[in-house]
Amino acid sequence: MQQDMVQVRDLAKSFKRQNGEAFFAVKGVSFNIGKGEIFSLLGPNGAGKTTTISMISGLLTPSRGEATIGGSSIITQPLQAKKLLGVVPQEIALYLSLSARQNLEFFGKMYSLGGAELKKRVDEVLDLIDLTERQHDKVETFSGGMKRRVNIGVGLLHRPQLIYMDEPTVGIDPQNRRRVLDTVLRLRQEMGMTVLYTSHLMEEVQEISDRVAIIDHGEIIALGTVSELIQKIGEEDRLIFNVGMQTVPDALLTKIISDTTGVSKATFERHEATEGAISDSLEIGTGQILVYAKRGRSALPHIIQITNEAGIDVYSVQVREPDLEAVFLSLTGRALRD
Amino acid sequence: MTKILTIAWKELYTTYTDRSLLLIMIVTPLALATIIGSAFSGFFGSGGDLPIRDIDVAIVNLDQGSSGDIFVNVLVPPADASPETLLDNPLYELTNAVELGDADAARAAVDEGTYPAAIIIPADFSEKVSYGQNDPIQPVSVEVYASSASPVSASVIRTLAESIANQIATGNVTVQATIDAMIARAQTDPAFGLRFLSASNNDAFNPDFTPAFDPANNPLTIEQQTVTGESAITFNPLVVFGSAQAVFFMMFTALGGANSLLEERRDGTFQRQIVTPTPRIVLLLGKFLGVFLNCVIQVAFLCLALTVVGSLLEGRINFIWGNNLFLVALVVITVALASSGIGTIVAALVKTPEQGNIIGGVISLAFGVLGGAFFSVDGIPGIREFRVITPNYWGVDAFTKLAQGDQNIGLNLLVMVGIGVVFFALGVIIFNRRLNV
Repeated sequence: MQQDMVQVRDLAKSFKRQNGEAFFAVKGVSFNIGKGEIFSLLGPNGAGKTTTISMISGLLTPSRGEATIGGSSIITQPLQAKKLLGVVPQEIALYLSLSARQNLEFFGKMYSLGGAELKKRVDEVLDLIDLTERQHDKVETFSGGMKRRVNIGVGLLHRPQLIYMDEPTVGIDPQNRRRVLDTVLRLRQEMGMTVLYTSHLMEEVQEISDRVAIIDHGEIIALGTVSELIQKIGEEDRLIFNVGMQTVPDALLTKIISDTTGVSKATFERHEATEGAISDSLEIGTGQILVYAKRGRSALPHIIQITNEAGIDVYSVQVREPDLEAVFLSLTGRALRD
Repeated sequence: MTKILTIAWKELYTTYTDRSLLLIMIVTPLALATIIGSAFSGFFGSGGDLPIRDIDVAIVNLDQGSSGDIFVNVLVPPADASPETLLDNPLYELTNAVELGDADAARAAVDEGTYPAAIIIPADFSEKVSYGQNDPIQPVSVEVYASSASPVSASVIRTLAESIANQIATGNVTVQATIDAMIARAQTDPAFGLRFLSASNNDAFNPDFTPAFDPANNPLTIEQQTVTGESAITFNPLVVFGSAQAVFFMMFTALGGANSLLEERRDGTFQRQIVTPTPRIVLLLGKFLGVFLNCVIQVAFLCLALTVVGSLLEGRINFIWGNNLFLVALVVITVALASSGIGTIVAALVKTPEQGNIIGGVISLAFGVLGGAFFSVDGIPGIREFRVITPNYWGVDAFTKLAQGDQNIGLNLLVMVGIGVVFFALGVIIFNRRLNV
């Protein structure tokens, strides 16, 4: 049976507004993270992700509730709990006037590492983040991606059992983003680390996570594996047929629903503006048929045939499988990026 | 303890590898102190512009003869003096001399801070310095009663008194020596004796006595009495202005260093330390130990550098800070502690690094002015009373006393340690509370 690395029970945090009125940024969240699990907190900016993690990592004192890391309470045994935790903050929390190696050595000493052990760990981490050759250069001379790799390296130095990564791919190019995601997967695979990951980027959360908690307005509104969450809203694909400036009659939409197996809904939309649009890549004024169907790919040839028979040309087709974006949209009524 | 030292070392390393910071911490105060010190040395040596003016001084002439009048005549302008006369005599611009009749009243006025110094000429002054064949010139002291709270002004007055006394002595000793020699020759050379007797009745006699003055023969001494009863002030502008500049810039270092804690909060490096298994008090102690050591190193280096400058100006090796190295080190440490304490409390009370920079700058500047970094506030009633709230005043005063050989700096040390410990403790408590939200 998998043991829990993190247990969070009714964790809440209130702040006072300038007018003295109290408001809860986190309204009592509960979840467990198993050892070796990659667990993601997904939510828009201001949802309460960082506040939740700040309480778990000891930066903020909870107003209510409790959390343990490896069985140690963050409230009554904070130093023991912190020994098990590595933190990779969203911002580049490094001393820019120090070299990569000096940064690693400094924070290593803050984790009570020293002597030959510290040197060995620093060498290992420099190798892991692929900065051995630039180890003596000041961090201020590094590119954004290199800084972010050092930022991650500092969190790994003391070989924590739990590593918390707060939006570690923000502001970096696709190549470095890929490298970060691969590193996260390697940490679990090769070192058995438990990873607590926060992001507002649905794609990367969906790619790396074993389980996801969707948080909004300080509350967890859904928690489970990606497939479990998708099942909650129904497993329908979205098929998008671009028909340009043509107009689609309602009769064709009715025929698509009635004649195609698995189709639950078909609509025609004229792309008026970006808000509420299915695809931002469409030109304004172009139309699209939107079809919701189980096993959408297998329904695709039949729908195209019916459409052509009705005299409508299909210029392009997109198949959207159900994702966390759709889950969030379904649960909150708005997109993650809103 | 290891973590405290690790944080402090990081603080020192980042400071001393930052060239622009070193420019502000070391080069600028050294240059300013050297320029000001050199200017003052020029004034006291070979002449120059007057950087100090309108020093209040009381003169009490108890002399029953006429020699004491020389002091009064030199320093106190005649009642009917024309504006041109006042402008032509730089001493009238330098001092605001007032003649008083009672020595005790003059001393009391110095004690109360009305005058930085009083010159008291004894009743037998003329009798002892005047020539007489059977009554040769005798040693006599002119008392300069000075306030230890105004070391610069007191030193200027003492220098003036010495200068006037030297001129009186020059004339009288020369007259005595020359007349003695002539009498001796007249006793063996009757012809010369007759010419001498004739000449001595001539009004043109005196200008003949103009040999060079030998300071070794000076029978006049200036007896320095400070309010605390200590003696012998020797004013070294490099000590006064150098230490004032050093403490002034160190206050910037202390406030800036403490403010860097807010910058670390903004940049996330402090939060990154908080999530390590390290008690917050250790993090704060490490940070402020670094700030304190930065201050100590800065002031110690400036003291050393100013010694080199002083030695170069004088053309000889001269440790300008006095002969008690232990007490000098104690002053360096305590003034750094006091400044670090003030830096800590400011960092704890302000909300942002930007706010800290502005408030810190204002405090540094205000304390620098009160501490005499730019000009002496000895003679500015309403301002000089506030000096005592600044570590600058206590530090500069302690450095000046030590340089003068006065080791009575217990109060200075106590006040500076008190400021440092109280503000540091309060700052840490407040800062820790703010973190513990």
